[in-house]
Amino acid sequence: MRDRLFITTMLLPTVVLLLLFYGYPIFDNLRISFTDLSLLGMRRGGNWVGLANYRELFHSGGFGHILFNTFVWLTATSVILRLLMGLGIALLLHTSALKQLRLAALARFALLIPWATPPIVAVVIWRFLLERNGAVNGALEALGIIDHPIAFLADMRTVWPSIVAIMLWNTVPLIALSLLSSLQTVPDEYYEAAELDGATNWQMFRFVTLPFLMPAILVLGLMSVFWSFNNFVYVWLATGAGPGTYTNVLATEVYLKAFVDFKLGYSSAIGMVMALIMGAFGIVYLRLVARQQLEETL
Amino acid sequence: MLKLLAAGLIAGAAMIGTVRLVNADPVTITFRFNDTEQEVRGAIDEFQRENPDIKVDLQRIGWKDARNQFLREAAVGQGPDVAHVAQVWVTEMGDAGAVLPLDNFLKKDPPPNGFSDFAAKDLAKGKDGHVYGLPWTTDTWAMVYRTDLLKAAGIDTLPQSWDDLRKDSEAVYKKTGKAGFGYPAGSSASGAIWFLANFYWWSHGKALIVQKPGGSYALGVSVDDVANCMKYFKQFIDDGDNPQSNLAASDAHDPSIMQALVTGNQAMGAMPPNTYKEILQSYKEANPGKPVPFASAPFPHPGDNKSSMIGGRMLVINANTKHPDQAWKFVKFMASQQVFAKYYRTQFPAQVSLLKKIDFGAPLKGFAAQFQYARTWGPYASGPVPIGMMWNATDRAFGTALSGQTSPQDAAKHLLQEIGKSIPAKG
Repeated sequence: MRDRLFITTMLLPTVVLLLLFYGYPIFDNLRISFTDLSLLGMRRGGNWVGLANYRELFHSGGFGHILFNTFVWLTATSVILRLLMGLGIALLLHTSALKQLRLAALARFALLIPWATPPIVAVVIWRFLLERNGAVNGALEALGIIDHPIAFLADMRTVWPSIVAIMLWNTVPLIALSLLSSLQTVPDEYYEAAELDGATNWQMFRFVTLPFLMPAILVLGLMSVFWSFNNFVYVWLATGAGPGTYTNVLATEVYLKAFVDFKLGYSSAIGMVMALIMGAFGIVYLRLVARQQLEETL
Repeated sequence: MLKLLAAGLIAGAAMIGTVRLVNADPVTITFRFNDTEQEVRGAIDEFQRENPDIKVDLQRIGWKDARNQFLREAAVGQGPDVAHVAQVWVTEMGDAGAVLPLDNFLKKDPPPNGFSDFAAKDLAKGKDGHVYGLPWTTDTWAMVYRTDLLKAAGIDTLPQSWDDLRKDSEAVYKKTGKAGFGYPAGSSASGAIWFLANFYWWSHGKALIVQKPGGSYALGVSVDDVANCMKYFKQFIDDGDNPQSNLAASDAHDPSIMQALVTGNQAMGAMPPNTYKEILQSYKEANPGKPVPFASAPFPHPGDNKSSMIGGRMLVINANTKHPDQAWKFVKFMASQQVFAKYYRTQFPAQVSLLKKIDFGAPLKGFAAQFQYARTWGPYASGPVPIGMMWNATDRAFGTALSGQTSPQDAAKHLLQEIGKSIPAKG
């Protein structure tokens, strides 16, 4: 009993600090989401409107489109491609051929460059590259693939693939390097034993490599989902959520409602919905997928 | 002896203190300016020379973030002492309590020729009738043409009507392969198509927001008015004479548009005078000694209706300033004739008496002519809908129509519903 009291007392300051640091902003945001607070009325404060902001959000015509963009393009597509490309690059960097050619270190260094580039710089660079007179259109025209320049960031057929490409360029290196470090922990004996048993390359990958990588893939997948789902920078800087509202996602809608339409209460409601979705995803992912996989693997 | 020494030390300290009081540190005020530093650097240095007891710290921020940043800071007792704001922001900033009423300053220490000499005075007032901003600069938008490209397309006279503009833009594209009227059609909450849409409505005798005789506010355009405007501008993109990439261009000074005009890849543009001056300057630098192939002209104004705005900037004093008198001194100085004559030459002064003295020069003749067919934002600023919200909703709705995401009719309907929601039932 005395020990428990001692432990509780020792932990209390940390718990209080964490509650203040994380809990207060969440509760304040929740409170604001039940008001009609406006950026122009911050001195006066907002009036209590109950669930009106949430009702307006769920009944707004564009909400389904915003959810689709956030889930399908910004999150699912980018996360799946990021993991696949990261895995591919990690396997490539781990090949003995690259080591023999003494290119492994150079390749790893080259991979660090996009990762070290701040997202804002990455988007600006890519905007220049994807412009009407940019390098990408220039190269495609020179190769005879297109006759007229493509408006990559303004054409509805190309705008989402372009945004996803920018995100991948900037974020795949981290996944690749993380998986590469996991790959290096797989003992060679496992491959030797598999080889003796007559396993094919695919079987070695499926039954030796992949199980070792699975914990890292699961953690990186979860982190990637959080990063992507809440991401504002790539969409906002690349397209400003346009053309029209075509690339609008939850994070850009939060900004637009708060700082363009001045509806801080409504914007906070969107923020709470985002937090709930991610909270629910995190719980389901950890309970149903990650724990089962981790238990099987370890 | 010791007593004498102590007395001497105390007297010395007192004297040093007095000297320090006389040479007290200057009061520092912060000025947040949203254009380039070189435009006002000289004027600020001059002010500091004339007022050694006041130091001015210049802060820079982009127009896109200026209003929100200031409102956020002012709400928590922070922010610059003096801020550079758009004319249409002042009413809402005054109503938000973010800026200081200037009535007392205007009474005690008025600018030369008084407050009545300033343009856009109506936009400087809050809904409570107090004056919250001093109009600083004024401008209007006009059309800009590359005369060499028009000539190459067989066009001898500048377009007079919206139909002429459409036909000439198409002709340039078909005959020269260059862009015709390359306007910014981006969907972000910026200048973009917001200005052009309003100019189009105004020139047809309509306005998005109108004030009724009883003082209430209402929508002044129908779904068809908005849809027709969208269809008009959509033709330029659909037919290729405004490159589709301009759906991602958000401002008149978007580099892709300015560059296209300078290099002769685009024949027509719509812009404020400072953007036009930058284009002229860039052309001269790239083509030294060559005649400038540019002309400016008013927007089409059928029936002599207004077809552009009297826009501009104001200076406001933060409600949280600790140095209101010094801030006012600075504001008054920045609006003086000497600043516009010697330093701030990229903009026109907001005082009518100073404006009359300006020689616009041949390239800017169209802007001078446009002033006759220009109006202030009036009910847009004093009405119940925040102007930023209208910009955003309009740009988004046009973006959805111009890109083909929705039909003009649906986009127009949605736009009017969005804005209508913010207008109280009784206006």
